[in-house]
Amino acid sequence: MRFRRSTATNLVLNLLVSLCALILAFPLVWIVTMSLKQQAEVMAWPPSFVFSPTLDNFRVLFDVAKAGATSYGTIKVDFLTPITNSVVIALGSVLVSLAVGVPAAYVLARRDIPFKEDIAFFILGFRFAPVFLVVIPLFSVFQTVGLYDTYLGMIWVYQVVTLPMMVWLSRSYIEDIPKDIEEAAAMDGARPFRVMLHIVLPLLKPGLIGASLLIFLLAWHNFALGLILSSTKAPVTVALLKLLNPGVQFYPVMAAGLVLTMIIPVILIVIGQRHLERGLTFGAVK
Amino acid sequence: MIATLQSSTSQLAPSKHEAARGIEEARLDWRSIAAIAPAIIILLGFLFLFFYGVFQSLTDLKFGRPLVRFIGLDNYAALIKTADFWNSVRATVVYAGSAVFVQAALGLALAKLFATEVFLARLMRPVILLPLVLPPMSVALMWTTMMDPQSGIMNYLLSLAGISRFAWISDPATAMFSLVLIDVWTYTPFFALIIFAGLQGINDEIREAARVNGAKGWAIFLHIELPLIAPYILIAAVFRLIESLNQFDIIFGTTQGGPGNSTAVLSVRAYITAFQNLAFGRGAAVMVVNWMIVLVGTFAMVKLWRFVRQRVS
Repeated sequence: MRFRRSTATNLVLNLLVSLCALILAFPLVWIVTMSLKQQAEVMAWPPSFVFSPTLDNFRVLFDVAKAGATSYGTIKVDFLTPITNSVVIALGSVLVSLAVGVPAAYVLARRDIPFKEDIAFFILGFRFAPVFLVVIPLFSVFQTVGLYDTYLGMIWVYQVVTLPMMVWLSRSYIEDIPKDIEEAAAMDGARPFRVMLHIVLPLLKPGLIGASLLIFLLAWHNFALGLILSSTKAPVTVALLKLLNPGVQFYPVMAAGLVLTMIIPVILIVIGQRHLERGLTFGAVK
Repeated sequence: MIATLQSSTSQLAPSKHEAARGIEEARLDWRSIAAIAPAIIILLGFLFLFFYGVFQSLTDLKFGRPLVRFIGLDNYAALIKTADFWNSVRATVVYAGSAVFVQAALGLALAKLFATEVFLARLMRPVILLPLVLPPMSVALMWTTMMDPQSGIMNYLLSLAGISRFAWISDPATAMFSLVLIDVWTYTPFFALIIFAGLQGINDEIREAARVNGAKGWAIFLHIELPLIAPYILIAAVFRLIESLNQFDIIFGTTQGGPGNSTAVLSVRAYITAFQNLAFGRGAAVMVVNWMIVLVGTFAMVKLWRFVRQRVS
């Protein structure tokens, strides 16, 4: 039973919570307003809080044909390609991680194989892999093999980030399913493959959707791999950095780009808050 | 002798039931190995690349040069002679150390605040997740625009408090502070989420018993809650320490290591060495040093975590 707080304490606590929420949310709100401003308004001092919103910045991001026709000089960006790249790479990474990771997770959760825990920790260890130490040799390898700047190569290399996470997350979700159900089905004569397909997978579906959301997010976040191993297939995070031309700061256009990269994660919070929390703190809290 | 004979006869004529089970287990194992093999093979590929990277750090590999010589530890010897390298080591440790320390303290406060479960705390829970789900590169660029010395909102807010223009990431003296601030904004929620889980795991009866015995709120926190959540704080610190020692996106997105060398942490230096100066061998050597710092730091934190956990239980 919780003890009762006085109204004054309650008020102070609520105020403190709002202050924290404000600090966490304000930068995003500010960037959204900036993406709706004109360049002159963004550069104004003091910053303008009242303005007539424009969608011109978003148009500039996608309008390859009319590039240069902006009110603030020449800026040529093609933002559609990197967004497509990011979506393709992230979805591909999720699918490969699902296909490869879930069977492995099932074995690690349910079957007795030699060195099981060692294998599990070998896989978890990749969560802390020094990515550059993998990427520096990979650069030459990709150039020779012809995987440089291809979707296939990118999806493969993204597995260094996504696959270990998928194995560990789905292993923990599988362990949540009572073992009795599977054993009962096996007693009734169901083959292991059928048990997996008709009993485990349906029960696992919510967990796998949650894990996939998180893995998509991880892939969406990645920057270093795309920076080094791709050029025309570069993800949106790399394209963002190019919007920050040294010298000419088109802040509102960049803000529009930022808004686009941040919309998807924010939507994901709304869909799967519970799963994201579990995934983001994974390893530290089960 | 008889015993061996007996056992061999029993091996020769096992009961039907046992034989069936033996075959089934073997088949199951075969299946299990087939299921786990693709994941292991993919990851072994990365492990191989990792060792290949360590090997490259012992060569004078440069991009586009056909002849590669094994030069032993020369790359490392050359590195430790330069002041730039030690500056990078210092920047890496300062960045990660101060960021993790501040995040742990603020994360604890944030978790305690949300654990009060006042009305708005329950309503605003999802907001805690917000910084964590944004791409670190977007976070970096978002703060770059906000920290612009001429037109940024941060300086406007400071001017409201009567503080004159702050240079943020454009001055070597303040750049590191600004980066740590960005890291703190982004990852304090990570600590908060984990500590929050720890706080929820504490039995209310323990608190109640302490209160009945006359302990005040602050004393309950210090002597009962804090020791119980200390392992949670430390494990979160281990995760964050590893990631901030390796942090690349936030630093590359804001300062690219500048101004001057003030924020050139090892990962950024490795990138510049390998992919801008095209000295792959030297870049790999920088990364190996970074990795060793990560190992030592993690090892120390895990030891501390084990020690604290033992004392709690």
